[in-house]
Amino acid sequence: MPEPLEYPKAMLTRATLDACIKCTICETACPVSAVTPLFPGPKFVGPQAERFRDGESVDHSLDYCSSCGACTLACPQGVQIAELNSQARAVMKEDNMPLRDKLIGQTVLMGKVMTPFAPIANAALGNKLVRTVVEKTVGVHRDAPMPTARLHTFQGWMKKHQPPASPRTRGPVVFFSGCAGGYFEVETSIKTVEVLEHLGYEVIAPKQGCCGLAQQSNGLFDEATKSVLKLCDQLRSGGKDLTIVSASGSCAGMLKHEAHEIMGVDEEKLHDVGTRMREISEFLLELHAAGDLPTDFVRNDITVPYHAPCQLKSQGMGMPAITVMELIPGVKVIESGRACCGIAGTYGLKKEKYDIAQAVGQPLFDMVKEKNEGIAVCDTETCRWQIEKGSGVKTVHPIWLVHKAYGLS
Amino acid sequence: MSMDSRAVVVGAGMAGLVSAIRLRQAGMDVTLVTQGIGGIQLGQGTIDVLGYVPERVLGQPLAAVTAYGNAHPHHPYAILSADDVRAGVEFLRALLPDTFVGDLERNYLLPTAIGALRPTALPQVTMAEGECTPGKQMVFVGLRQLKDFWPELVAGNVARTELPGGGRVSTRAAWLDLPARANEVDSTPLYYARAMDDPAYRKRFVDALRRVVEPGETVGLPGVLGLADRGAFADITAQLGQPVFEISTIPPSVPGMRLNDALTRLAKDARVKVVLGSQVLCANIDGGRIRSLTVGTTGRPTEYAGEHFVFAPGGFESGGIELDSYMKVSEPTLGLPLWVPEGDLVVADHNAAQPLFSVGVRFDHDMRVLDTAGDTVHENLHVAGGILAGASRWQEKSGDGIALASAVRAADAILESVQNLEGARNA
Ligand SMILES: Cc1cc2nc3c(=O)[nH]c(=O)nc-3n(C[C@H](O)[C@H](O)[C@H](O)COP(=O)(O)OP(=O)(O)OC[C@H]3O[C@@H](n4cnc5c(N)ncnc54)[C@H](O)[C@@H]3O)c2cc1C
Ligand code: SF4
Ligand code: SF4
Repeated sequence: MPEPLEYPKAMLTRATLDACIKCTICETACPVSAVTPLFPGPKFVGPQAERFRDGESVDHSLDYCSSCGACTLACPQGVQIAELNSQARAVMKEDNMPLRDKLIGQTVLMGKVMTPFAPIANAALGNKLVRTVVEKTVGVHRDAPMPTARLHTFQGWMKKHQPPASPRTRGPVVFFSGCAGGYFEVETSIKTVEVLEHLGYEVIAPKQGCCGLAQQSNGLFDEATKSVLKLCDQLRSGGKDLTIVSASGSCAGMLKHEAHEIMGVDEEKLHDVGTRMREISEFLLELHAAGDLPTDFVRNDITVPYHAPCQLKSQGMGMPAITVMELIPGVKVIESGRACCGIAGTYGLKKEKYDIAQAVGQPLFDMVKEKNEGIAVCDTETCRWQIEKGSGVKTVHPIWLVHKAYGLS
Repeated sequence: MSMDSRAVVVGAGMAGLVSAIRLRQAGMDVTLVTQGIGGIQLGQGTIDVLGYVPERVLGQPLAAVTAYGNAHPHHPYAILSADDVRAGVEFLRALLPDTFVGDLERNYLLPTAIGALRPTALPQVTMAEGECTPGKQMVFVGLRQLKDFWPELVAGNVARTELPGGGRVSTRAAWLDLPARANEVDSTPLYYARAMDDPAYRKRFVDALRRVVEPGETVGLPGVLGLADRGAFADITAQLGQPVFEISTIPPSVPGMRLNDALTRLAKDARVKVVLGSQVLCANIDGGRIRSLTVGTTGRPTEYAGEHFVFAPGGFESGGIELDSYMKVSEPTLGLPLWVPEGDLVVADHNAAQPLFSVGVRFDHDMRVLDTAGDTVHENLHVAGGILAGASRWQEKSGDGIALASAVRAADAILESVQNLEGARNA
């Protein structure tokens, strides 16, 4: 394995930059340059600036890129613009990484520390004074969305949980909760397991840590690589060749492609896990295409605004959640049409980027406010917190609708 | 339409989007897979049917389509008829009402961003006042912070051009000093268009415009008059109280972006399953039919199975056709046989049509691909748009007409085949 930062310095994705024909289509897709002139946009910091870098950083505006990946998706020539940017940023920040960026990548640590003290932690995070101190000292914006700590973890629930008595007709699958799904969005993890069990699967949830996505997006490739490889071992311990299902839209992407494409992690275990990884809606849609998904759904007359997170869109599989939700009689989905909610992992938490992230998210918040009938839907935890905070509308994972439609809630 | 009728469309340019929407409207389950956003915004946002043969086409572009097809047996218009072009254009017009002007009875002659007069069949409503008629007084107004539009250049070139029926336009140039965003000294049409979506900005813009425009003048502006707010143009015109028109700037053009956004939105709202950002790698073929396409999704490739396939990957400009360093051309995705013109593919004359760009696939009237012997390659594969052989789309200004006619033909051929099959089943 190369040294983590050797890889972005050697920059394999650079090969794709020669495919750039300067059509500027990527610029039309970038949600950050749309709201601030501080960021010149993907073509300029990506394929254009890259030619001058030669291992050195040439333009610090690059730090304003949120790594949402909208540019890579839009490029008709296959240039991996967002990936180039993530690598260049890691190199740029190598010698002056802010403490804050090291801390907010530590999602598991945060969850572990907060769970036993959930009511206290929640009260503290709701306290303006505490948040102001946190902003001044660590640089996390006082109004940035923060997760609500839970009193129990997903693993704690799983240990006590009894699968249904009906026979397990479909064999085992491994469930990957992600750290937010393990500590904060426990409810979503539980519902996913219950849906899988309802379908007849035996669900295995090995003890698991963080995928390292937050560290990766903060340029901490060294730590992120260790996290992701450790997680691969843990998920593989669930069983050889089993499908791995995730209800954390973004973390699935880290294992499928980001760890490899951005950090150059090239180990067999990552490829093994990456090829077996299915985002839950993707998984259900595959079952449906094969005629194996029961659709004896309970009717639910509701229109839901839906936002596909940027890191879910980056997986290049379209928006399977829309099709799955609309299999439920009465459900009508309105897709946001927005590239990103603004939060982009931990980007929108940072005090110098908070306003930009809010401006990126504003059209989405407006749309959610206008179209919702009580709930909004989104596949990734941090994005749900951002949408909920920005719009005031309860925002849930698509599996909540499926769970309800199977009569499980 | 039976539920098992699944279609997979490749490419999100004009051809792919339009055929996907047409199939979906007929009730098919449609997935559209595209590596990136298509080329609509690389054009001008007009619908060009046929502009040069090589002389400029002014009257009756559809008659010109028939005549050009008759004279050029390898051109797409030799197989796609004037009726097909009309059907394609009318389908688009019905999808996007109140977007275009024009009746296919003539071409408009509109100034470009360098002041040439360019023929097009259907300009957008926002461009219509740019029509050049003798004695018309035009003022071209630039923005100091927008380097893609030089009003002196446009005004000078338009003024010295003798109009086809004789006479000239009288022109003048003027400038506004109005950044799109505070302190931005070097902006792009995109940021101006977004600023124009804001009514408060529009008001400031019109106030500034009033100071440089004189009574009786028609106002030519860079193509930035609103992106998301489709009422921006009407608002600006009403506030100014004088005729206004937009001129598309270098790609990506804002008028093209508006078309692309509208068609993409229509496709998504109709529940075409749009898979953006993944490349089709190859096809799985069995018994002369394509069973599925292998798509390079992240993690591992995914199979997209279907009964019908529309292949609209564009030409060289979109990676639909490739040229290697030995001057060998190929269709990289499905390995389809290509028609290659005789002689040199690239000629030294910069202004001449490059034979290379006419390389593409041959096809029949059902848009099925034909091999060199004239036999169908895959029973259920239909092609549309820039991949078709025989045209010099940029030079002829024929790209949109070809894309629309072939997209609708491809969709209709699929629908006809399904109907025939169902008819046979029921009989
Ligand atoms: C700069 C420029 C200016 C032009 N100006 C004019 C003009 O003035 N007048 C005119 O008539 N025509 C013009 N054209 C031509 C016109 O744009 C095209 O003829 C027409 O739009 C073709 O549309 P299309 O749908 O066939 O392909 P495109 O718009 O090229 O779209 C092709 C799509 O296929 C996708 N794709 C390709 N390969 C794969 C794959 N393997 N897997 C998945 N997806 C794939 C691409 O990402 C893209 O989305 C211009 C073209 C360019 C580039
Ligand atoms: S979209 Fe792709 S080819 Fe076009 S300018 Fe951006 S990186 Fe280059
Ligand atoms: S990754 Fe997102 S924020 Fe960064 S340049 Fe691309 S589109 Fe813009």
